[in-house]
Amino acid sequence: MANNGSVQKALEILEKQLNQPLKTALEVCARCGICAEACHYYVAEPKVEHVPAYRAEQLRKIYRKKHNFFGKYVSWLVDAEELDDEKFNKLVEMAFSECTLCRRCTFNCPLGVDTPLVMRTIRAMATATGKAPEILVMLADSAIAKGENPEIFKEMFLQQISQLEKELQELTGNPEAKIPVEKKGARVLYVGLAGAHTIIPPAIIFNEVGEDWTLSIYEAANYGVFLGDVERAKKIAKRIIDEAKRLKVQEVVVAECGHACAALVWDAPNWFAEKFPFRIRSVVEVVAEYIQKGKLTLDPKANSEPVTYHDSCNLARTGGIFREPRIILKAVVKDFREMNPNGIENYCCGGGGGLVALPEYYEKRMRAGKPKAEQIKRTGAKIVAAACENCKLQLGDLNNYYNLGVEVKGLVDLVANAILYRKKAYASSN
Amino acid sequence: MTEQVKVDLVLDLKGLLCPMPIVKLSQAIKDLPVGAVIEGIATDPGVMADVPAWAKTSGQELISIEQRDKEYRFLIKKVK
Ligand code: SF4
Ligand code: SF4
Repeated sequence: MANNGSVQKALEILEKQLNQPLKTALEVCARCGICAEACHYYVAEPKVEHVPAYRAEQLRKIYRKKHNFFGKYVSWLVDAEELDDEKFNKLVEMAFSECTLCRRCTFNCPLGVDTPLVMRTIRAMATATGKAPEILVMLADSAIAKGENPEIFKEMFLQQISQLEKELQELTGNPEAKIPVEKKGARVLYVGLAGAHTIIPPAIIFNEVGEDWTLSIYEAANYGVFLGDVERAKKIAKRIIDEAKRLKVQEVVVAECGHACAALVWDAPNWFAEKFPFRIRSVVEVVAEYIQKGKLTLDPKANSEPVTYHDSCNLARTGGIFREPRIILKAVVKDFREMNPNGIENYCCGGGGGLVALPEYYEKRMRAGKPKAEQIKRTGAKIVAAACENCKLQLGDLNNYYNLGVEVKGLVDLVANAILYRKKAYASSN
Repeated sequence: MTEQVKVDLVLDLKGLLCPMPIVKLSQAIKDLPVGAVIEGIATDPGVMADVPAWAKTSGQELISIEQRDKEYRFLIKKVK
């Protein structure tokens, strides 16, 4: 079949992306099937289309057509195929709706085959040819527009923050509590997300420990990552990198958000081939450090209901941040119950990879989240804590869909609650 | 100002967190004819920054955005 423009362009993108890790992922697979049980889609609905190796194989066939000697001349011998429009559309649908880029298959594969890298490549091919979900493109472009024209929102943002500051002062009973914005020379630049819930609890914590901090005018979320579009992702990250340089901070602290952390902490230094003059960490690491250094006095009685913790794939598997959440939970929760498996072996909630922002895949996302819903149910917990915004949205939806009867909270919510609880107890005893 | 404009669709975005207000707004505007006006009502202050940026990127017209007590209301006109 003759290739049309978008297929041609997609193949060009594939060629451009062919670095060593991708070539390895496209050439190595023992077809042992071990990865099947690693994928939450397969666990939820065991069918061949849900086996990670099957997914990667769909692009491997196309790759072999050009890069395998037999693929070029006797395609049937090595199952090599030409890409056409219909196949490309199917690849795109699969990469955006049937893989959350959670990396659990890679961790469980004896050869370490990077299936999510293959899925990211398909996403990049889709984005370059205008076939990526519009909403992800729009969210990425809105973030870029904010960076290019901060005047379109800055005044309103500052107004909102001054109101949040008043709320903070009321909550803490401290008229001196502050939410400084873009303060030059602050030690920490905290980057939240759009929404008060990602600003107030960290502000309570920073004020409590006397941190020299300031709030970024930007949000940490980076939808360029979900598009597999490094150029867009770089533009979104650059807003924050430039802000941190301009303010001469020593550390950038990223809100509870898995993909944002992955983008800023682990990807950005590679994207910009640069060693930044500041450190970048997740707020989870920073709060755990405050606790370990004895900077926070907390009362676990504040959170007396049973709590379980969902490890975000990006934080735990990509970033190795799985001890820190437990340091926090043990300090602020009376009855902490692990779900199993957990940590780097935790199952994805089903909302990763940008899926929570795509209403057209709601049903698929709910079905893929079944293993997570069952894990939560088995703990008997009343509160599910998570340190990622996407996970929290998905867990909230799973809660309604599967009638779990839980409440979803961030780690910083539990810490802030423990701080406020102690303050109230102190005030009433005096 | 809000009172003078004929609203074609009221979008209840209360209780929704980032990025859902923008996701719902993008979806809703698709089904409306050019010239139609959407009124959005949200409770998350994030919309005050995100809606103007979305309007700029998507090329739609932000007629107004304001806070009323604990709610944030905006009017968007579909211009393309
Ligand atoms: S576990 Fe690894 S080698 Fe085995 S089928 Fe899956 S991707 Fe291939
Ligand atoms: S990255 Fe996660 S969702 Fe994607 S194939 Fe692997 S296990 Fe499944």
